[in-house]
Amino acid sequence: MIRHIVLALIISVVSNISGYGQVYFTKNGHISFFSKTILENINADNNQVISVLNTQTGLLQFSLLNNAFHFPKAKMEEDFNEDYMESSKYPKSTFKGTIENIDNIDFTKDGTWNVKVNGDLMIHGITKNVTVPGKINVKNGTIAAQAAFKILIKDYNIKIPSIVSNKISESIDVMVECSYQKR
Amino acid sequence: MGRKYKRYVLLALAVVVVTGVTIGYRLWNKPHEDIKDASAIKINAIALYNTLANDSLYKSTTFINKVVEVSGKVKQVSENQQKQKVILLETNVSDGSVNCTMEENVKSVKAGDSILLKGICMGYVGGDKNIGLPGDVFLIRCYHSF
Repeated sequence: MIRHIVLALIISVVSNISGYGQVYFTKNGHISFFSKTILENINADNNQVISVLNTQTGLLQFSLLNNAFHFPKAKMEEDFNEDYMESSKYPKSTFKGTIENIDNIDFTKDGTWNVKVNGDLMIHGITKNVTVPGKINVKNGTIAAQAAFKILIKDYNIKIPSIVSNKISESIDVMVECSYQKR
Repeated sequence: MGRKYKRYVLLALAVVVVTGVTIGYRLWNKPHEDIKDASAIKINAIALYNTLANDSLYKSTTFINKVVEVSGKVKQVSENQQKQKVILLETNVSDGSVNCTMEENVKSVKAGDSILLKGICMGYVGGDKNIGLPGDVFLIRCYHSF
């Protein structure tokens, strides 16, 4: 009887550990965006993205601090935080979703797989369901994820002052690149 | 008289326009804050982490967006996607760090070192409770301070 309990305990512990083995994370992922304007191109980088990937279930999460986006120009950064993103009111942006075709990926082999990710993207306090294409790359056991997609600023209720509204593009190119380590 | 008056008005207008454009240009191109020489709030990594990790409503205005000088013990040195050095400072939460992205290219820093880093404090991002991953406090544009 005791032997059975011990065995059951061992199995549950081991399966828990192996469950953990399917989870990968980074705390320094990179998300950047780009917007072409008549006057000047606007781009910013955030290298402080926390992302968690479960290779078994396909669950994929991202979360970042809006104020950590770094722009080439100080004024752009100031305008972004104060006027557009309102970073003190909406400090974080998040994504929570799943890789739809996770079963197609063989994480034990080197290679690149095209994936489709569906989930909830929250920016500026507004949550939208999005589906975006991405890539998963496996090399020597290291997993990396990449994605590039467009978002419309009006979808997230980001107001652009009318004096510059005709100079700022309606859509923003977002780029994601993360390299994961095992949890 | 009329012609002279007109000339003054045009001159005044030109001065206003040139001044306006110059101010606008300067404002648009003003440099980023110089972190290296900025005055900073001094704190140790453990205290900073605990303060911000327990501030889920982002009420703390003491540190966020401020230049801080953090003392701590280096847990790990790595490189991010943009080849900047990232130094993790130990806290009293295992796997929870003060995560410092360097603007300066440091070479000699290694795990176990006691260090003083100066940078802008961005705040705390939570990890994932389901897998027991704690979050980090993030500092960007960091410099090695002495």
